Amino acid sequence: MEHQQFEPVFPIDKGYLKRKKIYNNLAFLFAIAAFLIGAFPVFHIIYKAFAIGYKYLNFNFISTLPTGFPIGAEGGILNAIIGDVYLVVIASVLAIPLGIGTGLYLSLFGKKRTNYFLRLLNELMIGIPSIVWGIVGFYIFSTNAGFGFHFGFSALAGGLTLGFIMTPIVALLTEQAVNQIPASYIEGALALGATKFQAAKSVILKAALGGIFIGILLGVMNIIGQTAPLLFTNYYNTGLPTGVTGPGGAVGDMAMLIFIYIHEPSRILHYKAEAASVVLLLFIFLLDLGLRLINYLVKKFIL
Amino acid sequence: MPNENNDLKPVKSDDGNIDNIIVNVKNLNFYYGNYHLLKSINLYFKKNSVCTLLGPSGCGKSTFLRTLNRMNDYTEGAKLTGEVLIDGKNIYDKSVDVVELRRNIGMVFQNPNPFPKSIFENVAFGLKIHGIKNKDFIVERVEKCLKYAGLYDEVKDKLNKSALSLSGGQQQRLCIARAIATNPSILLMDEPTAYLDPVSTSIILDLINSFKKYYTIIVVSHNVQQSGRISDYSGFFLDGELIEFDESGNFFTRPKDKRTENFITSRY
Repeated sequence: MEHQQFEPVFPIDKGYLKRKKIYNNLAFLFAIAAFLIGAFPVFHIIYKAFAIGYKYLNFNFISTLPTGFPIGAEGGILNAIIGDVYLVVIASVLAIPLGIGTGLYLSLFGKKRTNYFLRLLNELMIGIPSIVWGIVGFYIFSTNAGFGFHFGFSALAGGLTLGFIMTPIVALLTEQAVNQIPASYIEGALALGATKFQAAKSVILKAALGGIFIGILLGVMNIIGQTAPLLFTNYYNTGLPTGVTGPGGAVGDMAMLIFIYIHEPSRILHYKAEAASVVLLLFIFLLDLGLRLINYLVKKFIL
Repeated sequence: MPNENNDLKPVKSDDGNIDNIIVNVKNLNFYYGNYHLLKSINLYFKKNSVCTLLGPSGCGKSTFLRTLNRMNDYTEGAKLTGEVLIDGKNIYDKSVDVVELRRNIGMVFQNPNPFPKSIFENVAFGLKIHGIKNKDFIVERVEKCLKYAGLYDEVKDKLNKSALSLSGGQQQRLCIARAIATNPSILLMDEPTAYLDPVSTSIILDLINSFKKYYTIIVVSHNVQQSGRISDYSGFFLDGELIEFDESGNFFTRPKDKRTENFITSRY
């Protein structure tokens, strides 16, 4: 019996076979070039900041308050480091529960149509320029005009404003992390008679923890570098805060410190701003490592 | 507090008695959007029997199974008419507590889906979410359920290891242990052996056979041989309709409908 073919042999364009290899190589080259161009500024920043600010990089720099004239000419940047801790903690206290709650609502509880608008709103919130958040924070928290909080220029007003910026980021990443969990986990829990809250608490949150940690990390990294929202809500303090609201409640902040030092007509302060940039980069790097470690430990020992 | 003494006791079976019907489905219609997925299904399941629902993929048999423990509640655009009576009570009645309903109806899915937790925690999960705090009871119960699912000897040394480290067949048996931990009276199984190797499949089928004295088991399958091996009653679904439902003896040897015959002789 003669061998029968499914379809008659069709002509193959030999030139195309060659061209597609060339296209593949071109795409590869493009990707490499894009990576190099994208990575260059990062390495350049690290190199430049380090090269200029290296002489101030010592333990004294991160352990003493700024003194001298103009203020900061002597001493270190302890005020900004402590201030950042204040701001990040306050922002996280607001943003982590709100963000995780929003993310869980979007991925588990909400109806399709409501979710569509909520998701849009969430993305809009991420896109709001930080200077606008500054005005919103000023109106709501610093002055009497909004809801009568009247925290003044303080860590609380600044931190809560930063929390608003962080919340939609945590929410988005939480939602995506939960959406990536196989539906079978959720169904398995529900089929055993778990309520949605029980399913969320005991199965989903644990499975999505890595993604949620990345959301928190991105959120914290984002707010640590913010200056604009702090201009109207916290500004800057060269000393340590005496409270979290009202006069004396303002804290120093790394980003604001760099911003202010660069504006001063003093070579020393310019160098110190560069050194502070290096400290800020290190700070973010350590934060990244720290959260990854926590994530690993929680997964290994608690879950 | 669930009754802690309510153990794996065989329920007395009394065939031929109308009271013996545990699940009674009356004129069930299921719509997904404009799509009429299940078309006036009428059937009943007897206590302590194994029923298999056969049919080609996409015929609505899984959807039907999921209407029995209201897993379709969360599907948006789904609409259901008709009644599903379990122990004489319509489970779609507003007074029915879904959580309590699902405690009484265990479910095993097509894909083994243990939670990303330890083996012990997987089985204990069902007990914990229903408020049982007595540690000794939980330990004892987990052990019993694992033994009963034929898994205990294989995992007794690694109860605190992640359930995901088990093989597919072991995972499926773990899911069965998890499902029976809450002491349900009905077990739903959605193609429980679809992704398993022949040895694991055989173990699970034996389990189903031995489970009959404790539970009413409803299995969805598209494997005719396996169904013939385990079932007392069999049904055939095609395009959302229940073509035939009968005792397995009649169903497999003397099907009344031509379409059933075609299916069980593999002409689909």
